[in-house]
Amino acid sequence: MNEFVEAPAAPKETTRQEESLKHRLIGTSVPRTEDERLLRGDGRFTDDVQFAHQLEMAVGRCPFPHARILSIDVSRALELEGVKHVLTGEQVREQSAPLTVLRPVPGAPQLPYYALAQDKATYEGQPVVSVVAVSRALAEDAIELIEIEYEPLPHVSDAIAALEEGAPLLHPQSLASNLLASNGDRAGEPEARIEAADVVLRSRMRIGRVTPLPMETRGVVAVWRPGARELSIHTSTQVPHLVRKQLAESLRIGEECIRVSASDVGGGFGMKLGVYPEDVLASLHAMALRRPVKWIEDRMEHFRASTHGRESIHDYCLAADAEGRFVAMTNTYTTDIGGWNSPFGSSQLSSVIFTGPYRVADAAVERRVAMTNKTPVGAYRGYGQPEVNFALEVLVDRLARKLGKDPLALRELNMLRPEDLPWTVPSGAVYDSGDYLRTLRMAAEAVDYAAHRASPRVPRPDGRILGIGLSSFVERTGYASARFLANRGSKFGAHESVTLRANRSGTIDLYTGVSSIGQSSETAFAQICAEVLGVDFDAVRVHSGDTASSPLNTGAFASRTLIAAAGALREAALPFRDKTLRLGAWALGIAPEEAVIEGYEVRHRDDADKRVPLSDVFSRAILGQGIPHDETPGLETTAHFEPPSAAFSFGTAAAVVAVDPETGEFSVERFVMVHDCGVAVNPMIVEGQVRGALVQGLGAALGEELRYDAVTGQLLSGSMLDYAVPRAADVPPIELLHTEVPSPVTTFGVRGVGEVGTIPPGAAIANALCDALADYGVEFSALPITPESVWRALQAARESTQGAAA
Amino acid sequence: MKAADFLYHRAGSVAEAVTLLDEYAGEARLLAGGQSLMPMLNMRLWRLGALIDVNQVPGLDGIEAEGEGDLEETRIGALTRYVSLERSEVVASRLPLLAEMVRHIGDRQVRNRGTLGGSLVQGDPTAEMPLGCLVLGARVRVESGRGSREIAMGEFYDGSYAAALEFDEMVTEIRFPRHPSHFAFSELTRRHGDFCVLSVAVTGECDSDGCWHDLRIGLGGVSDMPVPAEAASARLSGTRLTDDDIREAAALTVEDIDPPSDMRATAEYRTHLVPVHVRRALQQLRARASATELLTRTRENR
Repeated sequence: MNEFVEAPAAPKETTRQEESLKHRLIGTSVPRTEDERLLRGDGRFTDDVQFAHQLEMAVGRCPFPHARILSIDVSRALELEGVKHVLTGEQVREQSAPLTVLRPVPGAPQLPYYALAQDKATYEGQPVVSVVAVSRALAEDAIELIEIEYEPLPHVSDAIAALEEGAPLLHPQSLASNLLASNGDRAGEPEARIEAADVVLRSRMRIGRVTPLPMETRGVVAVWRPGARELSIHTSTQVPHLVRKQLAESLRIGEECIRVSASDVGGGFGMKLGVYPEDVLASLHAMALRRPVKWIEDRMEHFRASTHGRESIHDYCLAADAEGRFVAMTNTYTTDIGGWNSPFGSSQLSSVIFTGPYRVADAAVERRVAMTNKTPVGAYRGYGQPEVNFALEVLVDRLARKLGKDPLALRELNMLRPEDLPWTVPSGAVYDSGDYLRTLRMAAEAVDYAAHRASPRVPRPDGRILGIGLSSFVERTGYASARFLANRGSKFGAHESVTLRANRSGTIDLYTGVSSIGQSSETAFAQICAEVLGVDFDAVRVHSGDTASSPLNTGAFASRTLIAAAGALREAALPFRDKTLRLGAWALGIAPEEAVIEGYEVRHRDDADKRVPLSDVFSRAILGQGIPHDETPGLETTAHFEPPSAAFSFGTAAAVVAVDPETGEFSVERFVMVHDCGVAVNPMIVEGQVRGALVQGLGAALGEELRYDAVTGQLLSGSMLDYAVPRAADVPPIELLHTEVPSPVTTFGVRGVGEVGTIPPGAAIANALCDALADYGVEFSALPITPESVWRALQAARESTQGAAA
Repeated sequence: MKAADFLYHRAGSVAEAVTLLDEYAGEARLLAGGQSLMPMLNMRLWRLGALIDVNQVPGLDGIEAEGEGDLEETRIGALTRYVSLERSEVVASRLPLLAEMVRHIGDRQVRNRGTLGGSLVQGDPTAEMPLGCLVLGARVRVESGRGSREIAMGEFYDGSYAAALEFDEMVTEIRFPRHPSHFAFSELTRRHGDFCVLSVAVTGECDSDGCWHDLRIGLGGVSDMPVPAEAASARLSGTRLTDDDIREAAALTVEDIDPPSDMRATAEYRTHLVPVHVRRALQQLRARASATELLTRTRENR
C-alpha cells in the first residue's frame, strides 16, 4: 500500500507522473547520500569529535522542583586530583548574560535565565554547578563532593493550579503571577453563534507531557584559542547560525569570534533549537582553562535537562446546527512552559490551525502560557498541532454520536472544498490549496469504512471488538513571512540560503547552514541543485551546518527547510548555470544559447562532438584564464530566498483498533495515513519522514508520558525504564497513501513534511476506541490512552449509566 | 552516568568468589550478566567496593537432565544465559513453561547477556524467571565458605529485590523437579519485553477421569515478590475446572496480592486484572489439557 497514489485529473493538480516528466530528478527516490556514512559507522556526531588535551564537564543539578540555594561549598571537589575548574552561579553571573530567546511568547518579559541557577532553582534538573575534570567519571565524583544547601520551596506542577490565586510564584521579580503571557485571535461573533447554536459541546482536553527523545542526546565541545580570539563550538543542533547568535549574546563576545559547526545530528525534533545552559558553561570553562571542554548529555540528564513538549490543557467548544454544520469554535488553552522560557517556548501553532480543515467563520482562540516547577517546554515536532488536533477531532466524533450521524459524513459536510481555497481561517492564516475531502475518502476506503459502519460492534472470537477512528488535519509548514515573524518578536528570518561554488574537479560545492538532522536535506538539496543545473546528482556535494562556510540562514525546523531552500537553490543555481554556459560556450566557440549542461560537461545542443568538461570550464573560471574579457573570474553564487507565504499540508488518518471490553487492553491493528505534502522532491524521503513522525505520534498517543509526582513534584518517568517510548516491535502496521496537490506559494509546489505524522494518531485512536465501545458509551479527553485509561473510561461509562438508571 | 570507581576481581572458581564476598563483607557484588547491576552502577544508584566477575568460573553454566520418572530433575547452572534456555532442547522438552516464559524477557541483547541466577538474585517482582521457578517448585543451591545449602523458591525472598542470601553466599545452580503435565502463562506488558504490569503462570495435573489436582498458580508484578495463589489453587483441587470453578477460584486470588501503583499501572487496575488473567490462564490450561488428551486418544486408537 505504500505507493504514491496517482491523482485523477483535477484542476490545480498535477500527478507525480507529469511532474517527473517535467523534471529529471525532482520526484525520484534517489538513495540518500547520508546513508553511506551513517550505515558504515562513519557518521560524525558530537561525541565523535575529540581534541588533544580535551577535558570533560559534568553538571550538578537541583534535585528539587523549587528550592532556594543557601550555600555552595566546592572546596572538597577542587581538592580531588584531576579536577580542573568549577563554576557556580555567582561566577556565571559575572562572566555571562542570561540565555536569550529566539521565539518569545508575544508579550512575555525576558526572564533572567542564567546558565547556572542564581538564588533559586525552579525545576528539578536545573544546572546549579558545573565541574571540568580529566574524565567524565571524575567530574561526576567531584559533583558528589560539592555541598549545596537547599531550602525546598513550595512548588506547583500543574499548569491550571499554577494560574490559581495563591499558587507558589516562580519568578516574582519578573512576573506578578505564573502567567508568562496570554494572547489570542478571533473572527466573527463566536459567542453569539454558540448562544444560538442547536448543539454545543464543551470539553477539557489534557495532552500529556512528553520528551522528543532523539537518539543522540545533546552535546557540545568548546575550544577557545585566545591568541586567535576564536571560540570553536561543535554541537548537536538544528540551528548552527542561531546558536552562534545566542552564544555571542550570552558570552558577550562578537559573533565574528564564534564558529559553530554541527556535522551529523542524531535527531532534533525541535528540541535542539538554540542555546542551552550547558553550551554556555562549556564555553566559559574552555575560555577559563584554554583547553577543549566536552560535555555529552547522558540519558538521565536528557529527561530533565532538555526541553519537553506538548503538555497543554484545551477547553474546546464546538457548536453546530441540528444538521451538524459547524457554526462556531472556541479554544481557550493553557500550555505548560515549565520553570523557564526556552529558545522556542511552548507550542504556538495550536492557535493557528485550531479550526482544522473545516469551514467556520466565527471562532476564537486564546492561549495562556503557564510557568510550573518542571523542565522547560520547547518546540517538539508538530509544535501545538497534534495537541489541538486531538481536542477538535475527538469533539467532532462526539458531536456525530450526539447527533446520531456518521463521523465521516459530518467531516464531509464541514470540510473546505478545493474551490474554497485560498481560504483565510479565523486565526488569520491562509490555507493555500488542497483537496481535503479526497484524503478523507481515501482513508475511509482503505479501511473499508462503509462495511464496518454497517456491521454491529460485537466481540470477535478473541473477545475483542473492532473500531475505526478518523482524524483529519491541516498542518502549517514553513512561516508566513519575516514580517509575520517580526510581529511576534521572533529573532530569526523566514528565509533559507545556499552558496554554490565551482571547484576544479568539475563538481559543485553546495554550502548550507542547515545541519543534517536526519531529514535528508543533503540528498534533497543536491537533487534540486542538479535538476536546475543539468548536472549529475553526484556532481553536487553538500556541506552542512558550519557557520564558517555557509551563508547566514535560519535552520532546520518548522517543516520549513525545503519550503524556503527550494527557492534559494533555484535562485542560486540559475545564474550559476548561465555563467557556466557562457564560459563553456566561449571555450567551444559557440553561442551560449546553443550550449547545454549535461552530466559533467557543457556541450553543443545539437552537435555531440562539441563538448568541454565541467572541470575545464570551472578551472577557467577559478583561474580567470581562458574566459571572455567581460567576465569576472570565479564561479560562485549565493541566494537568499523567502517564500511569499506558508504552505499547508493536509490529510486524514484512519486507525483500526481491537479492544477487550473486560480489561481495556487494545491493539492498533492498522494505521492508514493519507497525506499531501505537495510535490514530493524524493518520495522515499517523504515516506521515511511521515513514518518516523507517525511513530512519535503513536508513542505520545499510546504510552509516552512524563509524569510528575503530585506531592513531591519529582519526575516519575525520567529514565528509559519507565518512559514507554515504542520500540520497533511495538509499532503497529502503517499504511501510507499520498496525494500531490502542488502548493502555489512555494518553488516547485512543495509543502513541508517533517512533522505531519505526529498530528493525527491521538484522535484517530481515541475515536476508534469510542467506535468499538459505542455500546458502552465511553469518552476520552486525555492523552496518552493506555489500557488502564480505557478500563477507567469503561468504569466511568458504567457508573454514569447506573447513575442515570437510579 | 559514569560509575564511580570500584575494584574489579575476576574469580577463577566458586571458592575464590565466595572468599572475596566474605572479605568485602557486603561491599561487593557478583557480576554475571550485568543487565541490572551495570545500569545501577552507572546511574550511581549503587556505590560498591568491588565487583567480582564470575563469568570465567568453570562449571557455573550448563543445563543437564538428571534422574528418571518421579525422580526426574533438571539442573541449570546459575550462569546460564537466557538465550541458552531459549535454545535448549532439554529446557524445551523438560521445562516447557520456562521455555515459554524466557521469551518474554527484555530484548535479544538482554537475553544474550542476562543469566538465570542473576535474575533470581536481583529479585525484580515483575521478572519472569523468579515466577517460573516458583511455580515449578525449583530449589536454589547456594555456596559460601561455610558450606552449601538449598533454598526452596517459595522461601527465596525476604522482600522486593531482596533475595534471602547472606552476603558471603553465591547462587550456583537451580534444580527443578519433574515438570507438571499441563501449564499456561499470561503476561500483560506496556511494550514488548517491558517489565510486566502483571503475569500469571499456572500448572496442574489432570486425571484420566478429568479431575484436576496439584494446581499451582503464581502471580508476578502484583506484590513485592512473585506469590502463589494458594486459596485459588486449593479451591480447584479435585474439580473439573468448570467455568464456575475457575471464576470462583480466580476471585480468590485478590487475597494473595498487594499490588503497587507505578508508571505501568495503578494498584486498582492491577487488582481488576489479576482475576481476569488468572481466569483466562486457567481456561487456557484446561483447553491445552483437553487438546493433549484428544491427541493421546487419537494415537491410542491408531
